Amino acid sequence: MFTTETALKEAMTAIDGALGAALVDYSSGMALGTLGGNKELDLNVAAAGNTDVVRAKVRTMEMLGLKSEIEDVLITLNDQYHLIRLLKSRNNSGLFLYLALDKEKANLAMARHQLKRIEAELDI
Amino acid sequence: MTVEPDVLDELARLRARVPRLTGAFAAGTDGRVLAGDTTDAAAAHLAAFGVDVLEAALRLSDAAGQGLAHEFLVHGEGGYVAAYAAGPSAVLTLLAEPRVNVGRLHLEGRRSGARIGELLGGALERLENS
Repeated sequence: MFTTETALKEAMTAIDGALGAALVDYSSGMALGTLGGNKELDLNVAAAGNTDVVRAKVRTMEMLGLKSEIEDVLITLNDQYHLIRLLKSRNNSGLFLYLALDKEKANLAMARHQLKRIEAELDI
Repeated sequence: MTVEPDVLDELARLRARVPRLTGAFAAGTDGRVLAGDTTDAAAAHLAAFGVDVLEAALRLSDAAGQGLAHEFLVHGEGGYVAAYAAGPSAVLTLLAEPRVNVGRLHLEGRRSGARIGELLGGALERLENS
């Protein structure tokens, strides 16, 4: 079982090209934990900003009448991938894992697989 | 002071940037309201109240050995009240709905508080130099 700290550590070490990771409560936009990041990547700013991304998508799906649920969101930059994985287990709803990746070093399929694995192990 | 329109502009910008914000006020630490931007006119007296509470928070933080308090956040059943220091002589008080993005509220509130502090500081300097 992963705690917030060990889950973020696992994301940063097990996923190639990881630049920063955060566990975010999207009812408040606040991060429960952050790891990595740098001057250009302020993870608390990312937590608040990506909360708006998740809320907008949830609202859009409601308006479209889609009954399905979001598994993850991928945002592709010129040089980075940003992955948002919404947590689904009974204790972790209302949270998402946010991961920024270096596009050159990352394997997107593997990164998504690893995030899914970390989510399954996470218990807050 | 001619700074008031600038402060009002800053409050309007803040309201535009943070969804679910229902009110924004800047008040001097003497309790005088410098500028307010809200849909609820009756809420303006809250600005002076915010100053009192931030000063109490400042004493609490100081007594607890945590140094100067810069801000506080109150989570009520019907929403949030937050206040941020705006330079040494003013306080920015914000009202928000329960579903507000608190992370964004903090980021924008701190930035806006600092900006209002600069505007007021600049006005004070001009007054002293005139």
